Amino acid sequence: MDVSGEGETVVVIDDDYAMRLSCDQTLAKVGYTVAAFADGARGLEAVGELKPGLVVVDLKMPGLSGLEVITRLHEIDPAITIVVITGYATIGTAVDAMKAGAYDFLPKPFSPDELRLIVRRGFERRHLQLESRRHEVERELQRRRFVTFVTHQLKTPLAAVHQYLDVLRELGDDPEAAAKRRDWLGRCLARTDELRRIIDDWLTLAELQGGTFTRQRVRVDLKEVLARAATAYEGLAAQNNVTLALELPAPAYAIRGDPTCVSVLFDNLVTNAIKYNRAGGRVSIRAVEARGEIVAEVTDTGVGVAHAALPFLFDEFFRVRRPGRPRVEGTGLGLAICRRIVTEMGGVIEVESTEDVGSTFRVRLPAWAEGADAP
Amino acid sequence: MSATEARPGTKVILIVDDDEDFVTTVRAVLEREGYTVVQADSGAEGLRLLRQHHPDLMVLDVMMESTTEGYGVTEAIKYTDEYNAFQQTPIIMVSSIQESPDERFPRAPEVDMIRPDRYMTKPLDLARFLEIVRKILRR
Repeated sequence: MDVSGEGETVVVIDDDYAMRLSCDQTLAKVGYTVAAFADGARGLEAVGELKPGLVVVDLKMPGLSGLEVITRLHEIDPAITIVVITGYATIGTAVDAMKAGAYDFLPKPFSPDELRLIVRRGFERRHLQLESRRHEVERELQRRRFVTFVTHQLKTPLAAVHQYLDVLRELGDDPEAAAKRRDWLGRCLARTDELRRIIDDWLTLAELQGGTFTRQRVRVDLKEVLARAATAYEGLAAQNNVTLALELPAPAYAIRGDPTCVSVLFDNLVTNAIKYNRAGGRVSIRAVEARGEIVAEVTDTGVGVAHAALPFLFDEFFRVRRPGRPRVEGTGLGLAICRRIVTEMGGVIEVESTEDVGSTFRVRLPAWAEGADAP
Repeated sequence: MSATEARPGTKVILIVDDDEDFVTTVRAVLEREGYTVVQADSGAEGLRLLRQHHPDLMVLDVMMESTTEGYGVTEAIKYTDEYNAFQQTPIIMVSSIQESPDERFPRAPEVDMIRPDRYMTKPLDLARFLEIVRKILRR
């Protein structure tokens, strides 16, 4: 067996000298560091110091019994892997040992290969367990970072309003102060509005994630949805000096999905394309049907997204950086909502972008198939 | 970024924060006290203005544009030769994050790299903030 036990420590506890010697030789031969002890008390003491990953314990020993040793080993290290060796007469006890938390048992007599195999498997399982524990810790850290982050996003507008009110209290009555007061109260309103929108979007996202959102699976015509979005945001486009162009030659682009979610999705994409555009820019809205899919694209001629930022674009609260340009109003949740909606409906959302040239958001959704499973 | 011409003898305070409303209010109370205020809306701009204005104090936000840019600014000042001259510039770190770096990353040795002189949570208690500013600038 070409298995290396390099770097791994095994403690053997067995009152039989010949058995200790044979285990030591068998395991040392493939690189394990082995320490062998004749009774439970000395074995446990050594485990505390050597911190082995695995312990081989004979069940039938004078003094501390194998079962007691197993219990005490788990007190020292709950993650320790235990293999028991036992004579035929004690198979029943071996089962008890497994119930007490031993990983496996090896009936006597056994070959060197059998011992090496079971020890190797024991270490493999131990490493998997340690790994999954590390993942758990990492997940928990990530969750806490996320809570800190969300809390921060909610508190920021509130803090701004609080400080305005604090300063407004001390403001005088002269005309300069009156102008400031009007301006600052306007800012307070804008920030409370921002906070309300963040909370609304956050709730939408939570509902989408929690599965409590009412989700229909019906025929939705994207031609209607996109035309409606274009009409609804004509005013916003005019304000931003941006032209909207629809390229929807087919009579219909029917998908299978939830009408409300689909509207939210394209409202987000179209308003983004307008807001992150340049003056005199253009938003093109296209759709095509291909191989059982409807592919809808919203292309802008705006600021674009740096290549390095693309992987984070659909993350909650991620905002595109625009140094030296006025801040674009937004909650940072729109694209996270879009991704969630598209995934829910069995589709894919992609982005292509070049900085200072523009971005294309492409949504692929399953086309409506007549006669397919009705909702 | 706008900077009032420093009058001789007035202390210069650099505010680095991308929340314009936060800066407006802090700026108002600091200017009322006679300080000269310089403002930057990103970490990079903050470091540039630090070299340009040699402020007596820096008020530094943590989260700017979705990242913990404020930590990066303290780290740059403490650990790069370019900012050697500013290692003694006091920093008041401000954020809506409840925990200071030491509370957020307990027992992490890296926290030395980002530890400010003072940490205050937003909204600032403006009276207390002014008290701390005065105390730091008297040193």
